[in-house]
Amino acid sequence: MADQTTAVIVRSTPRASRGLWRDALRRLRRNGPAIFGLICIAIFILGAVLAPVIAQYDPTIGNLASGKQGPSLAHPMGTDLLGRDEFSRVLYGARISLTVGVVAVLVGLAFGTVIGAIAGGAGGKVDALLMRITDVLLAVPGILLAIGIVAWLGHGQIQIMLAVGISYAPIFARLLRGSLLALREAEFVVAARSIGTPGHRILVRHMLPNALTPLIVQATLALATAIIDVAGLGFLGLGPGDPRIAEWGEMLTDSARFLQSAPYLIFFPGAAIVISAVGFNLLGDGLRESLDPRLKR
Amino acid sequence: MALLSVSDLIVRFRTHDGLIHAVNGVSFDLDEGETLGLVGESGCGKSVTNLAVLRLLPQPAGRIEGGAVYFEGADLTQVSESSMRELRGRDIAMIFQDPMTSLNPVLTIEEQMVETIRAHREVSKAAARTRAIELLEMVGIPKPETRLRAFPHQFSGGMRQRVMIAMALALEPKLLIADEPTTALDVTIQAQVLDLLRKLTAERSTSVILITHDLGVVAGMTQRINVMYAGFIVETATTPDLFARPRHPYTVGLLHSIPRLDAGDDEPLIPIEGVPPDLRRAPVGCPFAPRCAWRIERCWTEMPPLEPLIAGERVTTTGPAATHQLACWNYATAVEASTGQPLRDGFVAAPPPATVIEALAAAGVDPGAGLVEFGQEGRS
Repeated sequence: MADQTTAVIVRSTPRASRGLWRDALRRLRRNGPAIFGLICIAIFILGAVLAPVIAQYDPTIGNLASGKQGPSLAHPMGTDLLGRDEFSRVLYGARISLTVGVVAVLVGLAFGTVIGAIAGGAGGKVDALLMRITDVLLAVPGILLAIGIVAWLGHGQIQIMLAVGISYAPIFARLLRGSLLALREAEFVVAARSIGTPGHRILVRHMLPNALTPLIVQATLALATAIIDVAGLGFLGLGPGDPRIAEWGEMLTDSARFLQSAPYLIFFPGAAIVISAVGFNLLGDGLRESLDPRLKR
Repeated sequence: MALLSVSDLIVRFRTHDGLIHAVNGVSFDLDEGETLGLVGESGCGKSVTNLAVLRLLPQPAGRIEGGAVYFEGADLTQVSESSMRELRGRDIAMIFQDPMTSLNPVLTIEEQMVETIRAHREVSKAAARTRAIELLEMVGIPKPETRLRAFPHQFSGGMRQRVMIAMALALEPKLLIADEPTTALDVTIQAQVLDLLRKLTAERSTSVILITHDLGVVAGMTQRINVMYAGFIVETATTPDLFARPRHPYTVGLLHSIPRLDAGDDEPLIPIEGVPPDLRRAPVGCPFAPRCAWRIERCWTEMPPLEPLIAGERVTTTGPAATHQLACWNYATAVEASTGQPLRDGFVAAPPPATVIEALAAAGVDPGAGLVEFGQEGRS
């Protein structure tokens, strides 16, 4: 009896907090949609990594005689116009979409963080100048900016990564600058200054880590749009530029003409784009909720 | 020579709403080992004065527009930013009001304390850590070795303020500025923290400037008190003197707005009516005039200078024999101070003269705003 009482008491005391990140992780685990998103992403990452193992056919070699076949046991997603196995192409497409998407977001983060940190850290005229430039870039729709950059730099994967990345940089820059400005007057920053901590150290060690969470959330959400943007560029004929490379967007363009005769050719790459984008979106939202201290229970 | 000597300090903020006259010519001295209280309502320039001393005013709005701050003989308003940075923490440290927000939430206590120590002393991480443990022990945090690895949110408010005190005293500064150090804490914890603060600063004969709006706190902690109002020092005296002989109507008002247990049933609480003045207007006359029951016509047009209570007395600015000074044209007598209102036959608080009303109206301000009317009180 006594033992039972103790057990109840022990269980009812709130679990000890173990730092910001572990707490966030715990909250994330209880967030159903975020876990669903994480599973979607995990499937795609596994598919991309294990593509050579899973895929039965070479995604670049086809047999014209067996073109445009519907889904079957041999070809679970059918074959495309040139007789290439659609399933293998979707798997290899995941490699392109994920790497290009991730690198593009990292490029955007790198540019955005540097610009935002300089603007938010320096303030004054530097801030005003950088933010006006950012405003101009933000005024142009992201995909249009990316198209312009690809048109300027030419076709190729690296160009796409740069183009999509640069079109995201202003968003990250603004977000970081805003957080830094708010943090500049935060009491712990004034407190750090009051004990003589040098300015650069305050920026790097005190302000940036505290401004990081909105950036992480935004980066996760940006991954979703990056996958769509990369596919969009591919669809518009501004993809990697090599018709042999399986890229979801280009696969859509190639099959759009056969929408009536072979709808599965549109369906599978389209579904791949939607599911991976939704996965990142759900994860991003979940991260936002679990990292926001105001929702802490 | 005094350790700290603030002379005629003027601080203004340039904001979108116009110029804020935050500190309007404040002068005071502080000796080694002395504890000085700065008392006044919120927004009367107490914190700004001290942020200006450390040159930590919010940028780019806040500016020191006049005066000097001498610390050990050097004018802090003139030294370079890098020597100012070395001085912060090492010579002058600060404790802030809210221990919830003055520690960085993403760094452990260890990281923050080691960083503070290593910012000024060339010691190894291990040595800094040992020192941090010592400091935590000193401020009474149990099991400091394990608590070092904790994050700020794992501490209670009182414990966090203890950590702040440990950090502020880590480099044994000569001057500690405590900005409302106990306002955010429970009453029982307040007493503990104040006790600790008093003990530690007395041991090292650290000078302390204690900013507070709580007269009960200053009574037990300080040797001298500056009463501030709207960016002016309106009365200054040693603590026993100020409590025994308050003379400025604002000080009298402050003392009468605290409930006292030993007060008789017939002794009512007399709140100070009205609100502090809008600091966007350049001060003309005494800033307390609109709320003052003792005001005379001169108060509306001329700011009284800070002068010794006993006219012609030689002024001592520090120590237990510091001169009682106040800035008032028509201050309260001893009897009036104890009752909290003017007791003179036929005396009526002077209404603002026509020139003042016109000047206010010309500046687009409602002359009646913030004005407290006093009836025919006198001796009843």
